Amino acid sequence: MTSRLVYCGKKVLLFFLSVFLLSAVTFYVSRLAPGDPLVSYYGDRVEKMTPAEREWAEEKLGLSDPISVQYVRWLGNALRGDFGISYKYKMDVAEVIGSRAGNTLLLGGVGFVLIFVGSLLLGALCAWFEDRPLDRIICKIGTVSSCIPEFWLSLVLILIFSVTLRWLPSSGAYSTGGSSGVMDRIVHLILPMSVVVLSHLWYYAYLIRNRVLEEVRADYVLLAKSKGLSRRSVLFRHCLRNAIPAYLSLMAISVPHVLGGTYIVEAVFSYPGLGTLSYESARYQDYNLLMLLCVLSGAVVILCSIIAQAVNERIDPRMRSGESIEAPEVTDL
Amino acid sequence: MPDEILLDVQRLTHVFPLTKKTAVKAVDDVSFQLRRGEIFGLVGESGSGKSTVARCVMNICKPRSGHIFYQGIDTCDPAAFRANRRMLQRTRQLIFQDSGSSLNQRMKVCDIIAEPMKLQRITPPRGSYRAEAMFQMHYVGLDAGYLDKYPTSLSGGQRQRVAIARALAMEPALLVADEPVSSLDVSIQAQIVNLFKHLQKEHGFTFLFIAHDLAMVEFLCDRVGVMYRGRLVEAAPTVELFANPLHGYTQALLSAIPIPDPRRERARRLAGFHGGELPAGGELTEVRPGHYVLREGGSAR
Amino acid sequence: MSELLEVKNLSVSFFTPEGEVQAVRDVSFSLRAGEVLAVVGESGCGKSVLCKSIMKLLPPAARIKSGSIAVNGADITAYRERDMRKLRGRLFSMVFQDPMTSLDPTMTIGAQIAEAVRVHRPEISKPELHTCVVELMALVGIERPEERMKLYPHNFSGGMRQRSVMAAALAGSPSILFADEPTTALDVTIQAQILDLLRDIQQKLGTATVFVTHDLGVVARVADRVAVMYAGKIVETGTAEEIFYDPRHPYTWGLLRALPALSRGRETLYTIPGMPPTLLDPPRGDAFACRNEYALAIDYEEEPPMFRVTDTHYAATWLLDERAPKITPPVGGGTDA
Repeated sequence: MTSRLVYCGKKVLLFFLSVFLLSAVTFYVSRLAPGDPLVSYYGDRVEKMTPAEREWAEEKLGLSDPISVQYVRWLGNALRGDFGISYKYKMDVAEVIGSRAGNTLLLGGVGFVLIFVGSLLLGALCAWFEDRPLDRIICKIGTVSSCIPEFWLSLVLILIFSVTLRWLPSSGAYSTGGSSGVMDRIVHLILPMSVVVLSHLWYYAYLIRNRVLEEVRADYVLLAKSKGLSRRSVLFRHCLRNAIPAYLSLMAISVPHVLGGTYIVEAVFSYPGLGTLSYESARYQDYNLLMLLCVLSGAVVILCSIIAQAVNERIDPRMRSGESIEAPEVTDL
Repeated sequence: MPDEILLDVQRLTHVFPLTKKTAVKAVDDVSFQLRRGEIFGLVGESGSGKSTVARCVMNICKPRSGHIFYQGIDTCDPAAFRANRRMLQRTRQLIFQDSGSSLNQRMKVCDIIAEPMKLQRITPPRGSYRAEAMFQMHYVGLDAGYLDKYPTSLSGGQRQRVAIARALAMEPALLVADEPVSSLDVSIQAQIVNLFKHLQKEHGFTFLFIAHDLAMVEFLCDRVGVMYRGRLVEAAPTVELFANPLHGYTQALLSAIPIPDPRRERARRLAGFHGGELPAGGELTEVRPGHYVLREGGSAR
Repeated sequence: MSELLEVKNLSVSFFTPEGEVQAVRDVSFSLRAGEVLAVVGESGCGKSVLCKSIMKLLPPAARIKSGSIAVNGADITAYRERDMRKLRGRLFSMVFQDPMTSLDPTMTIGAQIAEAVRVHRPEISKPELHTCVVELMALVGIERPEERMKLYPHNFSGGMRQRSVMAAALAGSPSILFADEPTTALDVTIQAQILDLLRDIQQKLGTATVFVTHDLGVVARVADRVAVMYAGKIVETGTAEEIFYDPRHPYTWGLLRALPALSRGRETLYTIPGMPPTLLDPPRGDAFACRNEYALAIDYEEEPPMFRVTDTHYAATWLLDERAPKITPPVGGGTDA
């Protein structure tokens, strides 16, 4: 029991340490980028400011101190739950993000689930029809689509479905002024969601297929078959099951990948989510907003990889290193 | 100097930690000596620690305690090792069991054989590295046509010959072979064992030959040590050991060699050895000149 | 006695990018109920492929080119996967060389044996299944089965894993057990135990066993009959006594002489010169001719037919032709000779 607590404690410590390092690096790097943060706060007025006024403005925003002092101040406030205000929106950053997070969660979260359910099914399908035309087609699409950038795919889809066919809206999350019902949201989600799913689905399906087929080549499959098991039980009960640990870690590792894709897609579709927000905050030197976005995204990524590792250790008995004491190797005969 | 001791292993102990609390004693207080030009066989089941001994001898594993003297140099002492690194790496060579995985699949045979020479910056005595590789291949009975082949296109026996050629190219004084024939067919095993015997006569290297059964050891080795659960339980000249095995495990190993005679083989009952853990303590005692056996708890005869 | 398994003129080829590899060439043999047949040969001679082609466990690149396989008089050569599934486990089952990889690493030993039982008796109740698994584990000599069935393969030693594999293979009480080098990856002392277990099971359950090995030495202990394979063909077949005491084929002589037990007291071990031919393009005539010190001129021209020695003993060598010179075999007659 205590060993479990120590284990969890270690993971939590690891998590916080990683997030801390991430915030420090982001803080420093964001200030290296060229540009004037005052522009995002005061807009065009900055150009007419006298040097004294500028100094006063920088003092007010806390930008005149050395970076290390700024960081310590930011960290102190952040630990108390105060992440500062957004220069652009002149609101608490948490509020700015809160109003947009739902949109991203909807797009990224649902997209993520669709990608992984879909790729698991496609992967199993490919393994089942190994080297038959269906399998070959899916694999080919997988190789090609993994090379297509999201923004290009987005533009092509917009061109086809919004510009030419006029079936679907090309941007936003809901129509301005008009009805804002569920249907409206869904219609606006179709294109960005398709891009998020389509640009990842095939590639992951391909990975899963190869992983399952690797298991199919293993010797224990021959034994299972010679016991009289059907191809279906061998594939699903043994191969797919043994491919799942690898699959789960793949899922967790791909969170940043999918998240990054979502951000790009949001920017292209001007979808009011965290992606668009990150893009803007980086562009306008909206430091406080950028910091919180980075730390949040980073925390999600780190959390996912820690969870993946823990899940892996649970599923594969060989990886439960601590438990081999209870079941030592039985060598006597 | 026929009786010069080349390798002296003294009270070697190695422990593999399993977790923070448990550990497994792979090698437990093992001592033996190799005279120059001798073939010593180390025999034991899987997990008996014989490979770990080989690894310690080759400085791949660092032993928990004990000393290994090679030509009087304590190779377990980091300072002594560093001072003689070139010499040690050159004159001691290792051959592995599975030449399928111990040879780089992406290298041609001639590069595999010449690589250690290139690394040690030895000018090839026969002009070029390629000529040297060709000479060594001829020496181990491989056709020069295999020079530009990759290991995957060779059979197990051929790959093992390449591994031997690579080791011999360095003119080693000590050759350690970790189960070099175990993964081969019986008929190929005989070929490789004959090759070893022939090469040893020509080169005169000292040879530590590790195997898991006694069948081939009889033809190759001058002396044999039997290991069980990390302990050296018996060591004797080959003829003496086969004629007069004293430890229960040695007897079980000997009786496990099948007799190619259906009537006699079926009538025979095999000597089992239900050892489990060996009792702690105990010393190797000399029962006959050169014949040592592990006596439990010091109750020497 | 009835023929349980009858293989006639079977040829199996692998179709690879380099060309057709003729792994099994025109092999015929039969197996009676309850007997142990040993198939002996060097690696790459097609002995493993032979077993897998009977069970139809070959990779997709391999195909049965010609010949027939009959089990209990029924021709199964044309059976499809679905029909084969009903036969596997019940009619024949297989044990593989490497017990380290032939068990699913993420499933407990008990679950893997139970799975094999449930395939054949889907309606079995939980407690019944449990007793069945315990009985099977006891049958193959695993002590304290109740607690060990909950362990994973990595907790077991090689010998114990091989016993577990056998338990799973025997779950459907098959009439034929194919054992593909079941002892090669094991320690010698364990090897003898597994051999005795094979013999034991054959006597207790009357399971006919096809025992594939490269080591003629281990055959003496278990086999009733022996078939020696070389380059995809059976070159000699006979009872164990006939093969060991009166071998007729030069390749069998070579295999026997290469055994260390027969070279005792000699300086060097006997070896068969040369290497097996590639099956991508088998040579004309007798495939063994170029390694055969007794080869006749005709060996390079024409393949020898199976000559009858006795009703049970056949060998494919021209030396048995009446026109051939008489040669005293260099081996045979047991170890005391």
